[in-house]
Amino acid sequence: MKSDRYVQSGLEKWRFRVIYALLGAVFLFYLVRLFSLQIINGEDYAAQAEENRISNISVATQRGNIYDRNGYVLAHNVASYNVVITPAYLPVDQGTTENIYRELSELIDVPVTNGKVTDETAKTFTECATEFGIKEIVLIGDTNAPYDSIKIKCNIDEETALVISEKGDSWPGVSIETEAVRSYPTGSLTANVIGFLGPITAENEEYYTNLGFVAGRDKVGFAGVEYSLDEILLGTNGKRVVEVDAAGKETKDVEPPIDPIPGNSVKLTIDTRLQSAALTALTDEMNFWNTWLNRIQSQNGVVIAMNPKTGEILAMVSYPSYENNRMERFIPAYYYNQLSQDPLKPLLNHAVSAQHPPGSVYKMVAAIGALNEGVITPEKEIPCPGTITVIQKYSENDPGTPREYVSYDRNGHGMCNFVKGVALSDDVYFYKIGGGFENDVPDGGLGVWRAKEYAEALGYGRLTGIELPGEVEGLVPDPDWKRINKTENWSTGDTYITTIGQGYVLTTPLQVLQSFAILANDGKYMQPTIVKEILDSEGNVIQEFEPKLVWDITKDPLIDVLDENNNPTGEKKVVESWVVDMAQEGMRQVVTVGTAAEIFKDFEIPTAGKTGTAEYCDDVAQEKNLCQPEAWPAHAWYVGYAPYDDPEIVVVAFVYNGNEGASVAAPIVKRVMEAYFDLKKIDSTGGYINE
Amino acid sequence: MFKREFWRNFDFWLFGAVIFLCIFGLIMIRSSIAGNIELAGYVKRQAIFLAGGMGVLSVCAIIDYHYWKSLSKYFYIFTLLFLGVILVIGKTSFGAQRWLEVGLINIQPAEIAKIVIILVLANYFSSTEKKEKNIKWILLSFLIVAGIVAPIYLQPNLSTSIMLVVIWFSMLWISGLPPKYIVIFGVGGIILAIAAFPFLAEYQQERILTFINPDEGARHGNTYNVEQALITIGNGGLLGKGYGHGTQVQLRFLKVRSTDYIFSAMAEEFGFVGTVLIVALLIFVILRCVRAARVSNDMYGAMIAYGFATLIAFQTMVNIGVNLKVIPVTGQTLPFISYGGSSLVSLLLGIGLIESVLLHRKL
Repeated sequence: MKSDRYVQSGLEKWRFRVIYALLGAVFLFYLVRLFSLQIINGEDYAAQAEENRISNISVATQRGNIYDRNGYVLAHNVASYNVVITPAYLPVDQGTTENIYRELSELIDVPVTNGKVTDETAKTFTECATEFGIKEIVLIGDTNAPYDSIKIKCNIDEETALVISEKGDSWPGVSIETEAVRSYPTGSLTANVIGFLGPITAENEEYYTNLGFVAGRDKVGFAGVEYSLDEILLGTNGKRVVEVDAAGKETKDVEPPIDPIPGNSVKLTIDTRLQSAALTALTDEMNFWNTWLNRIQSQNGVVIAMNPKTGEILAMVSYPSYENNRMERFIPAYYYNQLSQDPLKPLLNHAVSAQHPPGSVYKMVAAIGALNEGVITPEKEIPCPGTITVIQKYSENDPGTPREYVSYDRNGHGMCNFVKGVALSDDVYFYKIGGGFENDVPDGGLGVWRAKEYAEALGYGRLTGIELPGEVEGLVPDPDWKRINKTENWSTGDTYITTIGQGYVLTTPLQVLQSFAILANDGKYMQPTIVKEILDSEGNVIQEFEPKLVWDITKDPLIDVLDENNNPTGEKKVVESWVVDMAQEGMRQVVTVGTAAEIFKDFEIPTAGKTGTAEYCDDVAQEKNLCQPEAWPAHAWYVGYAPYDDPEIVVVAFVYNGNEGASVAAPIVKRVMEAYFDLKKIDSTGGYINE
Repeated sequence: MFKREFWRNFDFWLFGAVIFLCIFGLIMIRSSIAGNIELAGYVKRQAIFLAGGMGVLSVCAIIDYHYWKSLSKYFYIFTLLFLGVILVIGKTSFGAQRWLEVGLINIQPAEIAKIVIILVLANYFSSTEKKEKNIKWILLSFLIVAGIVAPIYLQPNLSTSIMLVVIWFSMLWISGLPPKYIVIFGVGGIILAIAAFPFLAEYQQERILTFINPDEGARHGNTYNVEQALITIGNGGLLGKGYGHGTQVQLRFLKVRSTDYIFSAMAEEFGFVGTVLIVALLIFVILRCVRAARVSNDMYGAMIAYGFATLIAFQTMVNIGVNLKVIPVTGQTLPFISYGGSSLVSLLLGIGLIESVLLHRKL
């Protein structure tokens, strides 16, 4: 028994052994656990520690500016002032902090306290758009990252910003943050061309993140050239790898910082002054008619001006537009919804994104086609009565039914030759050359397939490739298209109405403009463009403007020679230059003796042009029950260029539901041309007009 | 008394190891301040407490421990009164009434309670050494403990309450608890623990539940500190990041790093090798205390030494266990190393008592 106990204390040995075993077991377990944490999984934990410590900071770059052709600013970054608080730097004393809150509250009109911070409300908290008072905002900031500043109020005026920043050390923790926001000095005047910015969306987050942009902070182009030229304007964000402590405070740079590279600036071909003149001309004309008729006839339209020799777009108005300055900070949902639900579609650039029947302006397709194919000679005179009756056939062997086709002038124009037909826009003349008529124009005239060749040579039915988003192709219909899309055969009548730009033909205002630019420029299709120069951030030109020839219809064989079954023979031909000359002659007579003679009679500089009154029956018109037989509503078109001998400017005006091209659209074009030549005079005299 | 003969029995190994651990603690506290201005005075404060603690140790070593035996009763009554006062007017610190300001020094009553309970129980078990080890003997000792545990539990301070119960049970065991009661207590203890859970304070329940079923998403939740502690330990690797170079410590991702999580701080800066050495030293101290109990030539001295050995061992195991995330979070510090004046002084007082047991052996 004695040996079971310690000699001196008399305590039992086995009880100690149990204790030793317990101690041993626990510490052995701890040893294994420590080994597992530090040696086996050490690298994983080291990686987590590194993740705690290292913070990658993206340094925001500056987006490039957008200028007009004269260097006038259309889009730039301006300073906006935000009141921010860094919770960690606020005074320790509660009373002092409360005093600061009270005084600040009076200055910026944000309550000292409002609402209650819960897990729920803290999650939905957004800086710049919160109902919370100062205390609540600071509480959220203090919880998340006390060393990061949190915005109390955004976009305060400069004066208040100055008052607050002068408080300096007496208001520790409170400061003014300067943020760059996008500003558009010309606002709605150029909004359809310039567009606006928006946040990086979920769909393109990967793309932009790979480029080093930060979703939720950096903004990217959403519309207009802000969207289409985004890559040029964006720039590259800088990068810093820093060490941060647990409170989020930076302690040092871990890698040498990479500075941001500012985006390049873009100088557009637009002349803001001409743009303004075009908008005024369009709205004045619409207002005039709306007042005159004492009803709302037209509310939207397009005016585009271009230099036909270089393809530079000098003005592009799509009305109504929108206020892109309201999108400078974020896209307000209610405003955006209002715009997207507006039936006039102000968010759309109608110059490139809307397609309408072109009406008589499309007659130039058949005009050059018929001459070039020898369907008619320029001199040949044929009767142009007020109506003709043709046999409407759906197939070769269809006996057909007689159908009457009318001219806009029921009295007719007597005998017409080519120039008179164009000048007076005589529908019957064009029916005959387009679809053939008895012995006047035998063998079915130009026919739909050959007409399509010439329409395409003039740029119809394809994208122009202008640097604007949302461009549509329009439609040059043919029998195959109709069979597939309308499950119906092409009729002889379809050919007639297509010839005068009705039926299935659809064009964008830019395509119409482009087709006239080709004719005005002696057959040369110059690439239409909105970009004049690209500048680096210091204003040095890094890409100069160079006009680009797409094709020359008098030199490049674009016209497929078709066999009797309308299949390509493989042979191609050009449009003879005399044909283009005759087309110009016809368009010249439009303004001297033809449909637009009244409007242009006192215009000093010789011009040429073509009117168009395009009947339509779209869903808007149907809804209003406007599509009555023989009295469809009509869009007004006019395209003109000047000077006639050496054209510098070609202008298209399109007024939706404007009715008559000559009386509604032509005056707009005339006013834009007047403005153009006035501005030219001002520029050539260094800003002074010497009368 | 100051003859060479007298000092022959002084345990220099124990004393040396304790001094080493305390100085290492100062070094570790200095590192764990990590530029926090509010903690800047910690090293100096701890050094002052260490110096004071050494004085207490020396005095306790010199005074014959038998002297305390007769005072046990008064200590007990004084402690009960003291705890009562705390309950009424105690200063609430970190949600618990654990401190009482006496002049400039905060006295932590829990520390006093630990010392007193060891002394009182040592007295009880040595006085009843020859008696039969029956249920009455057990219950009486339990009542002694319960008197002190109750007000501490009400503070609320669950971890100290558990520690006091553990000390009691450990001392009960070594003084000859018949094994059959272990089974009875074991079953009873589990039933009691389950039954008591609904009566625990919300934060105590939360801590236990968080340990059993951690909420993965909560970065700022209760799991944050202990997750960061694990990352800190793991980041140390084999040899550590070097003194003052642990990123988790120096950039303050590790919280409460000078007290509860000083083990993690040490593990990051000194690695597996350094940590094992320090833990080995702590085990050495515990074993030297147990040795003192074994070689004491009376039951009273043996029970004092054994009681303090239990205190140091349990506190070490709990603290390291929390750091390694194998037990729920409690507020226990790492003996001799963690920052905390009261705790350090009472531990050194205990070492002093153990030295006294060794010095005043009647051979």
